Amino acid sequence: MGRKILLVEDDRETATYLAKGLGQEGHSVEQANNGQDGLFRATDGSFDLIILDRMLPGIDGVSVLKALRAAHIDTPVLILSALASVGDRIEGLQSGSDDYLTKPFSFAELLARVNALLRRRESRVDPTEHRLTVGDLEIDPLSRTVKRGGKKLDLKPREYLLLEYFARNEGRVVTRTMLLEQVWDYHFDPGTNVIDVHVSRLRRKLDEGYDKPLLHTVRGAGYMLAA
Amino acid sequence: MPTTLRIALLAGLLALLSNLAVIGFIYLRTHDDAVATVHRQVIEQGKVLADVYRSGGDEALDDAIADTMTYADPQTVIALLNPDRSEIKGNLESLRPPLAAGPEGYHTALVRLRGQTTPREAALVVNRLPTGQWLISGRIAGEGFAIRDTLERSLFIAVLVAGLLGLLCGIVTAHYVGTRISSIARVANRISPRDLSQRIPVSRSGDAFDLLATQINAMLDRISGLMEELRMLTDSLAHDLRSPVSRLRSAAHAAAEASDPAEQEELLGSVIRQADALMRILTAVLEISRSESLTGRKQFNWFDVGELAAELAEMYDPLADERGANLEYDRPARPVPLFGHRQLLAQAVSNLVENAIRYGSTGGEIRVHVEPGDRQIRVEVGDRGPGIPANRRDEARRRFGRLDSSRSDEGAGLGLALAEAIAHLHDGKLKLADNGPGLLTILELPVHAARAV
Repeated sequence: MGRKILLVEDDRETATYLAKGLGQEGHSVEQANNGQDGLFRATDGSFDLIILDRMLPGIDGVSVLKALRAAHIDTPVLILSALASVGDRIEGLQSGSDDYLTKPFSFAELLARVNALLRRRESRVDPTEHRLTVGDLEIDPLSRTVKRGGKKLDLKPREYLLLEYFARNEGRVVTRTMLLEQVWDYHFDPGTNVIDVHVSRLRRKLDEGYDKPLLHTVRGAGYMLAA
Repeated sequence: MPTTLRIALLAGLLALLSNLAVIGFIYLRTHDDAVATVHRQVIEQGKVLADVYRSGGDEALDDAIADTMTYADPQTVIALLNPDRSEIKGNLESLRPPLAAGPEGYHTALVRLRGQTTPREAALVVNRLPTGQWLISGRIAGEGFAIRDTLERSLFIAVLVAGLLGLLCGIVTAHYVGTRISSIARVANRISPRDLSQRIPVSRSGDAFDLLATQINAMLDRISGLMEELRMLTDSLAHDLRSPVSRLRSAAHAAAEASDPAEQEELLGSVIRQADALMRILTAVLEISRSESLTGRKQFNWFDVGELAAELAEMYDPLADERGANLEYDRPARPVPLFGHRQLLAQAVSNLVENAIRYGSTGGEIRVHVEPGDRQIRVEVGDRGPGIPANRRDEARRRFGRLDSSRSDEGAGLGLALAEAIAHLHDGKLKLADNGPGLLTILELPVHAARAV
């Protein structure tokens, strides 16, 4: 199912590369190469997602974003930026964007985030009201209990949050950085495989003793929870 | 106008003004005294004559005038005039301006007495008698006025001398200031990015110029320290980037040559990993310089350091476990509030914990501890690993100061430098100490950081 994505990026090479990749994923991509044009196109509100470069000729990305939010256009926005410091990331997120990705990034990372944002837009219902199921896995966000094949799993609080985030992105790739940002709310780049260790602990509790694994490693990208 | 001249003129002007104030005061007091004495005498004399006329009439007045002319001192002026101002009696030869028709009362005028050739200044009292005649009495005021004139002359000279002296003082001061300043300026002029070794001579008087010179010298010390650090950083950055870049290059080269698709994919994966590692180094360097430039301060907030440490201890516990170490943390009983950049401090503490895990796991125990305090909060991370000898600790916290030179290790050698930069952002310090055995890293964060914003 293709979606309409607006790509505001002044670097021709990056723009072409991204448009091509997203096109292959079935999305229709419209491009703008400066802030004014981007803002103009975005104001019709028909896009499912806007990918916005932070440094643009004319109006910069953050100003475009502020103008959009001021005009009550709540299309999800993913900011791309070469400003990679923690302070810059926080500032980018605080300016009203839904996600922030620093350059250079792998296409897998971008795609994972794009899909997560598109999915969030799809299901705008109160997430806590729903029971999440993935195959024979059942998650109750209200009581924070998890059952697999009817048997209760004993998870630590952080392991539960990790699993819930995976379940909300069922069938989609979730990267390590996304996990660190969404589950721990940290925006730095750890120098160790600390996230992998948490995921493998969760996997042990989740998949050990079951025939069909649910938590998969996606090489070069991250992880995916899928039945 | 050159500054020296301006200072000289200003000093001269100020000296002149203050002298004028003093001299003016003296002038007013003494001048008034001299004139007032004459004034009093003249009024007195006028009154006496008027009384004589009232009690004795014309005759008595005539006698009094005659007596005065005969016995009084030659300075006395006395005259009785007709209403038409022609003289009846007295020693008044001429009067200028003609006062007799003028108002009664006290006047000063130029008069010529009988037997004298030059008009002199006199103080006079004019009374009109009931008969319409004018009675004029007074004194040649030479004495009082002479005092006044002398006074005025000497005061004028005093003002002139004061002005000149002031100007001289100004010139001397300006010359002194100018010499001291230009000695500073000459040194400042000789300082260039190539030569920061010049220092301004400091005399031992401890005056404001010495203070200025000391401050400038201290500033130069700091600048040359920074320049040196920058040079070393650039050197080590270039040096440290060489090997990952050359590994990246050979991996890319091999990938281009590979014929087997599986092998090629493997090699391309390695290219990406190498590029990511490079990127991490550059991000860390950027992070350090951004932290140091205080850009993060607007993102400061209150948060609980105890809770932050708990979160990080929980996050790193499985990793430590996997490397064979037990990570311990006793959370303080009460919240430990600090005004700071939570994300950056999380990064600083996580760097310390990662360091401990990376180099100290062999010791089997890693301890995270938060020490609350009124003035500063200490966040300590201790391991039981090999530690760092005291003489190499400074080296360890330097950028790229990784002590073992094995390049295959995952750390870029920037962890401690970044933690230190973040501590500085919070007006704090990073300390390395002996954990007997092992390494103890301590972040000291002053609680007053809130005020510095």
